[in-house]
Amino acid sequence: MRIPRHLAKLLKAGLLAAAMLSLAACASAVGLDGPASTLNSAGDQARRIEELMAPIFWMGLVVFIIVEGFLVYTVIRFRKRANSGIPAQVHGNTRIEIAWTIAPALIAVVVSVLTFRVQAANAVLPADSLYITAVGHQWWFEFQYPEQGADGQPLLTASDMYIPVGKSVIITLKGADVVHNFWVPKLAGKTYMIPGKVNYMSFTAEQPGVYLAACSEFCGEAHALMRFRVIALPADEFAKWLSQAKVPPVAAAGAGVLNGDPTRGQALFADPKKQCASCHAVDGTAAKGIVGPNLTYFGSRLTLAGGILPNTPENLSRWLHNPGAMKPGNLMGKVITPTWVQGNLTEQDIADIVAYLESMKISVDLPVASK
Amino acid sequence: MAVIERPHGGVATPQAPVSKEYMGWESWLTTVDHKKIGIIYMVAAFIFFLIGGIEALLMRMQLGTPNNTFLSPDVYNQMMTMHGTTMVFLVVMPFNVGLANYIVPLMIGARDMAFPRLNALSVWLFLFGGLMLYFSFMAGGAPAMGWFAYAPLTMKQFSPTFGVDYWIIGLLLTGVASIAGALNFVVTILNMRAPGMSINRMPLFVWMTLITAFLLVFAFPSLTAGQIALFFDRHFETRFFNPAQGGDAILWMHLFWFFGHPEVYILILPTMGIISEVLSTFSRKPIFGYAFVAYSGVSIGFLGFLVWSHHMFAVGLGPLANAFFAAASMLIAIPTGVKIFNWIATMYLGTIDLKTPMYYGIAFVAMFIIGGISGITLASPPVNLQQTDSYYVVAHFHYVLFGGAIFGIFAGLYYWFPKFTGRMYNELLGKIQFWLTFISFNVTFFPMHITGTNGMPRRIYTYEAGMGWDLYNLISTIGSFAMAVGVLVLVWNAITSVRNGAIAPNDPWDGASLEWAVPSPPPAHNFDKTPIVYSRRPLWDIKYPDLDAAHEIGTRAISRRERMEQEMAKMGEQLGEDHIHLPSQTYNPLIVAFGLLVAGFGAIYIATPFAFIASLIGLFIMGVGIVGWVRDSHKDSPYLVSH
Repeated sequence: MRIPRHLAKLLKAGLLAAAMLSLAACASAVGLDGPASTLNSAGDQARRIEELMAPIFWMGLVVFIIVEGFLVYTVIRFRKRANSGIPAQVHGNTRIEIAWTIAPALIAVVVSVLTFRVQAANAVLPADSLYITAVGHQWWFEFQYPEQGADGQPLLTASDMYIPVGKSVIITLKGADVVHNFWVPKLAGKTYMIPGKVNYMSFTAEQPGVYLAACSEFCGEAHALMRFRVIALPADEFAKWLSQAKVPPVAAAGAGVLNGDPTRGQALFADPKKQCASCHAVDGTAAKGIVGPNLTYFGSRLTLAGGILPNTPENLSRWLHNPGAMKPGNLMGKVITPTWVQGNLTEQDIADIVAYLESMKISVDLPVASK
Repeated sequence: MAVIERPHGGVATPQAPVSKEYMGWESWLTTVDHKKIGIIYMVAAFIFFLIGGIEALLMRMQLGTPNNTFLSPDVYNQMMTMHGTTMVFLVVMPFNVGLANYIVPLMIGARDMAFPRLNALSVWLFLFGGLMLYFSFMAGGAPAMGWFAYAPLTMKQFSPTFGVDYWIIGLLLTGVASIAGALNFVVTILNMRAPGMSINRMPLFVWMTLITAFLLVFAFPSLTAGQIALFFDRHFETRFFNPAQGGDAILWMHLFWFFGHPEVYILILPTMGIISEVLSTFSRKPIFGYAFVAYSGVSIGFLGFLVWSHHMFAVGLGPLANAFFAAASMLIAIPTGVKIFNWIATMYLGTIDLKTPMYYGIAFVAMFIIGGISGITLASPPVNLQQTDSYYVVAHFHYVLFGGAIFGIFAGLYYWFPKFTGRMYNELLGKIQFWLTFISFNVTFFPMHITGTNGMPRRIYTYEAGMGWDLYNLISTIGSFAMAVGVLVLVWNAITSVRNGAIAPNDPWDGASLEWAVPSPPPAHNFDKTPIVYSRRPLWDIKYPDLDAAHEIGTRAISRRERMEQEMAKMGEQLGEDHIHLPSQTYNPLIVAFGLLVAGFGAIYIATPFAFIASLIGLFIMGVGIVGWVRDSHKDSPYLVSH
């Protein structure tokens, strides 16, 4: 009997869905649905990988049960007993051995074919995509939106990568110093950020969300503290974010957080003697440093210090007092030492800088943090 | 001990000068006996195993709870780098080499390795290389760039301490040891087999050692070349790997993994050989499908050179390159699957005697199946991109290298313990150690599949709470400490058994290969008379001459006894006498190795004039050693005279 084409397709889709759903059920039973789980995809690339993992997993499980079962049976059934003598001396059986040479070969062929299909689908860089350049630094992620800033300049930000839902993005990946690795488990697999080489990857977020991400190639002392977030917004919210982000911020008047004065903070930030602007920039101000992350609209960042702490005024103040203690080895900590801070910044200075940085905000509705 | 007569009748052999005999501890420093060298290898590797284990425990302490501050990131990174480097270069490799050093000449009916002095040089270079690597802790800090040492993190700018230099020079010394050792094995196995032991009658452990030796010879130079180029980058302003100066970071990855993947088989193939011996002996059956097992080892060796880029799927080499390396990696599933089926079939219908080595042999197969299956997902590039550099990989390769290689080594250690020491180990303690290790191994490493799938990257010294990683990390940490208890039981068992264990007979397991034909431990000259081999199981030919007619595929049905008599008649005349020549003890390999060690220290601090002079002194010491070596080599061992 010939199965009609559409029925076969339906059957295949059904099987695949069943494989995935049952895997997902097993996964959540053992707590495999964490906020960075690869089995809880929210993007097209990660979803296709998950769909590939499912059949490989079930095939692997079947092989596991059969082979280990046979092993355990053999050990129990043929263990030495009191009356055991020398068993029949069997040296082999070419036919059986050829058969079990072919069996793993068949599995390898099936896995390869499934693999190549997903590989082909995931290698596509769609023509109509949003381009973002991601640069790995020791130990933070920089994001550039080419031609999206004021006057067609690139729009620069760090640690939070905003993308629209339902539209493919092409990420151009670069490494500034050593090899880093760009990994957003719920959206896509990893791609290296290698100095001297440009890599590309593409994915589409399928649901709005805040996705946890990290550097996953060992990149030196604070490798563990190099994280970022991908914030996928519905298309209209993303447009809102982009239109605000390209206009340089204005320091708010009046008292800010921690009783600081944002206007004074802005002046301090740009003051060469206070060192901030040697490394950091804020668009539309005299602060034009390029070594550290661009801090324009810092107030809207979800985290600070390369994705390791919630962005609160208290954490920022703590960071400014002694960055080297919170993130060992980082460049800022080598300049802004506690001794230097004591000699060059008053408590009020720090409060003002915090108030200034936290005052620069973009108003968009964030999706609920991803579970 | 049997008296060895040096026949002087017939053709008169001129009496060679006899060298001094060293006794006591000096007999170890001057030894060229493959058995003593094997023991030095194994004891040193075991001590490094304890050190690498302590490093692992410190890491597990740190990772037991989120946001822990037990270790600073720099110390953690040093532990991570040293644990990997130690376990690969200073534990599994030298332990396998030590086992093979001891057992292979016995198995093939030889008196020693082909180049006994080179063998001594290898062991001292390995030991000095390892000690040099560890000296870095006292010289400003151990390397902290991962055992894979990706450029440009290894450049002076990012790794300013001398840790990387100690790593380079230390591993260069062990690398020279490995290549010299590998050539020694190739020559020994190809040339020194007892009469009648054709290639297809060699025990499978010898087969796997031969394949491993070839892998070493072809794979190690890639690492050595890369390390020398890296050393030049760091000290002489060359630009091989630093992209900031026009170098290529990916070139290092290729050089490293072209060595690094065959290295995996260098670690696992010898233990596959051990398992083949153990499963066969304790099932009292020959290995099922000898040719399939041997040739699948050969094909794993070949394929091992075609898959290195599966460590680099995320590098961005392009989908076509990734597809090629994926297909090649999948192919390895075939010979690996064949081996597993053949091992199980060896036990099937057998009489399985569940002694401790057999427990470890069975556990090897059981754990290797899991490591093999998790390897299939890693061979698929899209899935790999989610799993690489995550804890899933850590789980995978520990199933292969601990559940595989280390379990195989434990199997071999218990199996040959009576031969090495002349004493039986304690069976009860052996089984306690097995169950402790087997259970806690799974408790430690199985949860890592889950943390990795839950998105936990590798090589992080700390992590946030609430990621779904907390509980599983805690379980892993608990498991790792239970495993440490298991290792202590092994140490206790070994020490007490060496002292008070029951005296071991020549052949405690009813073995089939030639090492069981000689006393435990064997005399320095191994065999009183060179054995003559008629089949794959020479000792069973003697013990059970009528058991197994026509067992060799493709031969006509004649009884073994008949066959033996025929071949004996053929060979008898060719082997009229047994002239035993043993090489003399000598300090010279140790002196050469020491010279290289001094020169290596000088190289690390090459920028200072004092270090430059030290290098020259080291090379001079090496020269003295070589001259002494050449002048010594015609001397005979006093062993023959004094016994």
